[in-house]
Amino acid sequence: METSLLPPEVADAHRTFPAALAACADLDALMRLKGAFVGRDGSHAARLMEALKAAPREQKRDLGAAVNALKNQWEEALQARQAELEQARQREAALAKAWDPHLPPPLPPQGALHPLTRLMDRMVDVFRPLGYHVEEGPEAETEAHNFDGLNIPQDHPARGSADTFYFRDQDGLLLRTHTSPVQVRVLNRIGRRGPDGRSELERAGGIRFLAPGRVYRKDEIDPTHSPMFHQVEGMIVGKGIGMHHLKGTLSYAMKALFGPGAEVRFRPSYFPFVEPGAEMDVRCPLCGGSGCRVCKGSGWVELLGAGLLHPNILSMAGIDPAVWSGFAFGMGVERTAMMVSQTPDLRLFFENDQRFLRTMGGLD
Amino acid sequence: MLIDLKTLTHELPALAGTATADLCELLAGLGFPVDGVETQGETTVLEVDVTANRGDAQSHRSLARDLAAKLGADLRPLEHAALAEGEPLVPVRLEVGAAAPYYATAVLELGRAGSTPGPVRAFLAAMGAGAKGLPAVDASNELLHRFGHPTHAFDADKVKGGITVRFARAGETLVTLDGVERQLSEKDLLIADDAGPIGLAGTMGGDGTKVSAATKRVLLESAFFDPRTVRAMAHRHGLHTDASARFGRGADPGFAPVARDLLVQRLQAWSGARLLSAWAAGSLPPAGPWVALPWAMLDRVAGYPIDHGAACDHLRRLGCGLRETGDGLLLQAPSWRHDLALPDDFAEEVLRVNGYEAIPAELPPLDCAPVALAPDYLKRRKLALRLANLGFFQTVTLGFTDPKEGQEGHGTGDSPELRTLRNPLGEDYSVMRGTLLRDLARIARLNLERGVREVRFFEIAPVFEAHPGRPMTETWTLGLVWAGELGGEDPLSPVRHMGEPEGQSFLIGVLKTIGVPDAAIGAFKRWRIDRWEGGGKEQGGWQFEIPLDAIPFEAGRIIPQFAPFSRFPVVERDLSLLVALGQPYEELRGAVAAALDGVPLAELKCVDVFRHKNLPAGRQAWLLRLRFQAADRTLTGAEVDGWMARALAAAESLGARLRG
Repeated sequence: METSLLPPEVADAHRTFPAALAACADLDALMRLKGAFVGRDGSHAARLMEALKAAPREQKRDLGAAVNALKNQWEEALQARQAELEQARQREAALAKAWDPHLPPPLPPQGALHPLTRLMDRMVDVFRPLGYHVEEGPEAETEAHNFDGLNIPQDHPARGSADTFYFRDQDGLLLRTHTSPVQVRVLNRIGRRGPDGRSELERAGGIRFLAPGRVYRKDEIDPTHSPMFHQVEGMIVGKGIGMHHLKGTLSYAMKALFGPGAEVRFRPSYFPFVEPGAEMDVRCPLCGGSGCRVCKGSGWVELLGAGLLHPNILSMAGIDPAVWSGFAFGMGVERTAMMVSQTPDLRLFFENDQRFLRTMGGLD
Repeated sequence: MLIDLKTLTHELPALAGTATADLCELLAGLGFPVDGVETQGETTVLEVDVTANRGDAQSHRSLARDLAAKLGADLRPLEHAALAEGEPLVPVRLEVGAAAPYYATAVLELGRAGSTPGPVRAFLAAMGAGAKGLPAVDASNELLHRFGHPTHAFDADKVKGGITVRFARAGETLVTLDGVERQLSEKDLLIADDAGPIGLAGTMGGDGTKVSAATKRVLLESAFFDPRTVRAMAHRHGLHTDASARFGRGADPGFAPVARDLLVQRLQAWSGARLLSAWAAGSLPPAGPWVALPWAMLDRVAGYPIDHGAACDHLRRLGCGLRETGDGLLLQAPSWRHDLALPDDFAEEVLRVNGYEAIPAELPPLDCAPVALAPDYLKRRKLALRLANLGFFQTVTLGFTDPKEGQEGHGTGDSPELRTLRNPLGEDYSVMRGTLLRDLARIARLNLERGVREVRFFEIAPVFEAHPGRPMTETWTLGLVWAGELGGEDPLSPVRHMGEPEGQSFLIGVLKTIGVPDAAIGAFKRWRIDRWEGGGKEQGGWQFEIPLDAIPFEAGRIIPQFAPFSRFPVVERDLSLLVALGQPYEELRGAVAAALDGVPLAELKCVDVFRHKNLPAGRQAWLLRLRFQAADRTLTGAEVDGWMARALAAAESLGARLRG
């Protein structure tokens, strides 16, 4: 454009116009710029109109064309910039409302059941379809329920104060050393004859239950011992119950607990309240049977003690062992939990570090 | 118990060539798991676990006998010629009846110094005992480990007068072979001579009559002592010897004369001893009763049809007396098997020798009445799951506490001394807990110290309570702790400090969520606020505990009873009030609710609390939100305005005023 005819300050302003336009970061700045160039009063456009008015006639035509071209150029550029800035403002407004969905969300907090609870609950769930319910008894027990009713001899070492906790000022009261006293309580209840001369056992035709719970033995706390631990006891009383039923039941249960590949074996053993007695081993879950530290190279891990109910146990509860028979088993919960989870130290179950509970716990 | 493979194979030649691993399997299958195998040169020693009922199995001969039954093989015949008994050289008096019914003895004059043969010395070394170089002692030890029958040799010239088996008298003492002077009790069974005690029967001999290199004549003892008496005595004196382990769990009375004879033979062979006389006092206990074992019972116990011929062979090889009746067997336990008394015991023997692997696996038919899970049990399970879903971690703690609990006043208000153990692991573990809060506080602190920002724990466990003259009670209780800081871990959740007074409202929220009625919460006293150092700063939190009985649970109900709800629009109004700083919320809420009695008020609660220095002194601003909804019509603005005026008037009656 021919600018030699323009007033010098307008020509200067025109030279800096593109930069000034670009420097407008928002609409307010643009409006100020617009006012300075094309506003009604005091703008460069107004100044041009005055210059045009004052120009000699022979220049008016050329100058008029230049002024118009200049005004149009400014207005177009200002409009384009305005559209640009408006778009940017809308974009920003939209961004200000938006939220990156990958920012950390406020999750509902997640807790967990204790791993020992999970295992005991799972045991109950595994045995429910077989007709087992849950029976419970107190932790502060009598010698009669904890020992006498289980055929445990008067001079058995387990009765000693080196093995069993006794209350100081409560004669004959102890902390139960196993869940087996629940057996005695249940047998006494179902063996008692009602006014009709029949017992609960006779009316029901049998009984099956699990007794999960806390038990106590006088062991110092170390990586494999604790003065309190958990057992799950199971018992069945019926007619014609034999070792094959014990084996069938526990084989089913171990497959349900550890998977269809779980392999078990039974060995003769001795507990005063069963006859015949047995111990059940499972194939070592760590090495699968090839031999390792956990199974001490044998490929098998001892999991529970079991057997047919000793006839004395039934007789003591007034149940005729010639008519009724049954089996019982008792499983250490911590031992099993440690085995399946490879937890290296029993104390972790009772320390209750939240990191342990978060990893080992769950909602089922 | 240690078993020398060479000696075991000597007793049961059929074992020759059996791989050690296979032998271990055989033993485990018979109920004798092998805990370890140690091989040194030519000698292999097994560490075999013997259950408490099989006192008889603590010898090579008896394990060989069980293996012989399993393999259908023969034991090596015993090299034993019965001695002709002669005149007693000294009197033997048995004064305790069944506690010591039989006592075989012999007196020998030792010839040349003699020596224990090499193979016997090697055997004793394998047994971990080692030979003593005194043939009388070594022969006795060999017989014990080989045949399981303890015997004893006295220096006959140190025995004064006759032998008496009697209980100790008060004040008597005896220095036993280990050099310890023992104070005897009247329950201790003694071997005594005319001067006093010379041995604890079946447990340990006396030092004064022990055999030494200088001994010229020996007096042998091979007797039977009552297991309980010996067991109690060994326990009392903490004297668990090879002999007491065998007598204490039941030795074989029938073997007593044989062991005496074998001991005499060895002394004659090893040191040219000359038998002066062998005799016995008392009589062997009579053989046990005959027990009927019907085949039908055996089949029921086993779960598979037992082969009659094989069963008879097994039982005979185990030493049982056996007569076949039409429908079963009459059986008599051998003198060494104190564990066989009932038909079930004999049935186990048949199953054991057949191998438990022969038992089939069958589920018993479901032929008894079904029983539902008890409501208390279900309630605990569902409550635990509910709390875990609310973000709490379940803890399990031991349940022991220390006597400080009672002083702190967090117990059940009973007599903690009645919850105290007589023989605790230590004072810290001496009382059964009367509250869960101490354990939960301890766990909260531990986790805060380990850098956990927010701890949420609960425990469901029995809490003990004991009052004089009443039985101890165990109350299933829920304890819960919520401590530290929550929120602030994402851009949308502000930080909250559980240790502040408002933290308690979070726990009231938990109680409401699990269904505890408002009235019960209002009466609830077992709150506790604690402050701990954690992660380098002071942290706090709140706890409560509540008996499970106070938490409603409708076990019989699958879903609650239907309650109708309105389909007409809700009108929501806020009431911004200036209330006194000490204004109890429930009071204000109750007053407003009462003023709107009969009005279809759907909800009324405070949704904001604002405290600021620009508010009038002693005042805070509460924003009450009211929701109105009628069951049968759309509400009009005018009527709602009227209700809001009543609500404001009720608030003003408590000194509140509308915030401008």
